[in-house]
Amino acid sequence: MRTLLTSLFLAGLLLVTRTGVADPVKLKLTPRTPEQMSAFYEARGFPPQMIELLSHQCFITVGIHNTGKDIIWLDLANWRFTTADGKQLHRPHRDDWKQKWQAMGVPLAKQSTFRWTLLPEALDYQPDEAEGGNIILPRVKGPITLYAEFASGADKRGPLIKVIHKNLRCAENPE
Amino acid sequence: MTCRSLPLLAVLFALLVGATPLSADNALPKGLRNYTPGPAPNFRLTDIDGESFNLKDARGGWVFVHFWASWCGPCRKEMPAVERMTTLLADDAVTVVLVNTAEDEDTVFTFLAGVAPEMNSLLDRDGSVTEAWQPRGLPATYLVDPQGIIRYQALGGRPWDQPLYLDFLRNLPR
Repeated sequence: MRTLLTSLFLAGLLLVTRTGVADPVKLKLTPRTPEQMSAFYEARGFPPQMIELLSHQCFITVGIHNTGKDIIWLDLANWRFTTADGKQLHRPHRDDWKQKWQAMGVPLAKQSTFRWTLLPEALDYQPDEAEGGNIILPRVKGPITLYAEFASGADKRGPLIKVIHKNLRCAENPE
Repeated sequence: MTCRSLPLLAVLFALLVGATPLSADNALPKGLRNYTPGPAPNFRLTDIDGESFNLKDARGGWVFVHFWASWCGPCRKEMPAVERMTTLLADDAVTVVLVNTAEDEDTVFTFLAGVAPEMNSLLDRDGSVTEAWQPRGLPATYLVDPQGIIRYQALGGRPWDQPLYLDFLRNLPR
């Protein structure tokens, strides 16, 4: 398993990682290949039908670091992903996944691990706090643009922080 | 000094005294924050040796509750510091409790053997205990006071073996 994890790590390094800074938030987006994600879940004993379903998705690991001095608020309801032709990509909510896994009879431990690998739907980021996780989108060929908004301030009435990431792409397996 | 200044001085004094807890907050090591006090959700779990632990039984002393998983990069980075901290706090009244989230014994055993061989961990086999605590992410650390109330929360991984953190843990009010 260690060899597998090392391979995953190295494969991750080879992928293009995109970092955007819109003070006071640092956003790091790392697309993962289907092979990477399948290997990750296989190594943890996930059921084949769960892995099969996930292998057709577009995984992007998101790292968010609050580099400012005030609280910032992640709320994925305020994130939009669009394709080159302006079509909005629907990002399934974590509850949607939960329903799928329950319907498949996936063991609770695997459901739990899956949930913890996801980016939270909502979280207050304290100054200097960094948390991350995966976002799962439908797999598309072309570029994706992310429009993300974060509220700021303890009462969410601070300046609205807007981040735009262009040319994000789902990672493909190596030829 | 006139008599009229005295009430003002009294107000200033009261403000300074009232500011004492704030000063204590400022002394929190980086990444630790006060937690809106609330009872720690109880759990009874077994560790990789099959030994049972009930959080309630640890009342009377502070408990360092640490949630982790082997697949989590920051957990891997933090665990050696947790191990050193545990050794350095051996004579202090802080119980260190590791809770692995939803992994099996073999995975936990292999991970700890390579990263922190002196540590043992409780196994939250189906992840339900972790879910009840609702951490912000993994790793997640909480400090539970002798009455069973969560008082502090750490944001992400922390260098627990550093003097600032050790001093803070050693000086927790009994």
